[in-house]
Amino acid sequence: MANHDCIHEADVVAAVLSRRWDRANDELKQHAAECEVCRDVVAVASLLSADQDHARHEVRVPAAGQVWWRAAVRARLEAAHAVARPLTWLHGIAGACAVGVACAVIGIAWPSLREMASWFTFEAFGADSRVADVAAFVTDALQRSLPLAFVVAACIVLAPVALYFALSDD
Amino acid sequence: MREFVLTEMERAGAFEDAERTFQMTEDEFRIFYEQTARPMWLYLARTTGDDRLADDLLQETYYRFLRTRTAFESADHRRHYLFRIATNLVRDQWRRARKDAVEITETSEVLDAREDNAVGDGALGRIDVTRALEQLKPRERSLLWLAYAQGFSHEEIAAQLGLRTGSLKALLFRARRRLVSVLGDRYRSGGRRG
Repeated sequence: MANHDCIHEADVVAAVLSRRWDRANDELKQHAAECEVCRDVVAVASLLSADQDHARHEVRVPAAGQVWWRAAVRARLEAAHAVARPLTWLHGIAGACAVGVACAVIGIAWPSLREMASWFTFEAFGADSRVADVAAFVTDALQRSLPLAFVVAACIVLAPVALYFALSDD
Repeated sequence: MREFVLTEMERAGAFEDAERTFQMTEDEFRIFYEQTARPMWLYLARTTGDDRLADDLLQETYYRFLRTRTAFESADHRRHYLFRIATNLVRDQWRRARKDAVEITETSEVLDAREDNAVGDGALGRIDVTRALEQLKPRERSLLWLAYAQGFSHEEIAAQLGLRTGSLKALLFRARRRLVSVLGDRYRSGGRRG
């Protein structure tokens, strides 16, 4: 099995990175010449550190103030998002509650409405049994479709909320 | 998806908030940034092989650094922590891009042929280091750069990458061998041309 490291590696790296390799003691240089690990370390460290030294002067990074400003604005935006998140939930819950309450009110008031409709039909069309049958059929159909109407209304309110959370970045 | 747009007043307030929520003041940051930004950008550029991505990751790295609540024992600790953030970001990029399976496609002869500006007197020839590093796996680039450009110890790199020191030494050895084989034999023996 190959020897993966050498006890002199740290010394060799330190000498190369501090640009003292040419002036390093002969013992270390001699060792690096004979040790396969250190020989590669010298080659790689010389290459990468030279590249870093050379490129360092050419690299253009944004100004510190610009980085700070962007970070500050982003932090503020994230804070705004964090504050808005529970509000969005609250809106959704309030909407669902409103739909529930509306349905409950309609359910409770339904017998009265039905009576009112019957009275109106009777007053408007007299004892015409055909019209009375149609009115009874319509009110019955409306009563049956109440749960469906409730589900549809809930979806209309909750779908945008669910969509918001599904598509939001965070 | 709600768009949040800050007003001028909110932007001004953002600076006040930043002083409170960030772990250092703007002046402290300025000094720290001047010391670390260029080596950091180079690390990001060499490990990702993409200068534009390096620009983005640089901003992200400092943002995350500013938001951290870690108490630093020393300047070195702080610098290592910054590189740790960058390393994690680069690793996330690798995972996203699924470029881990990069194979050596070019021989050292091809790279040697690209080399043009030779510098003598014991220095390495100016070769395209980026292209050479591109032949390595992303993690290998990271390992080599941290160890041999930044001079981090094995223990520090192992901590950054979440590896055991023993495993790191083996990985570093393989990465080194790989780079040397990409570069060709003449870069061995103390970096001098044979």
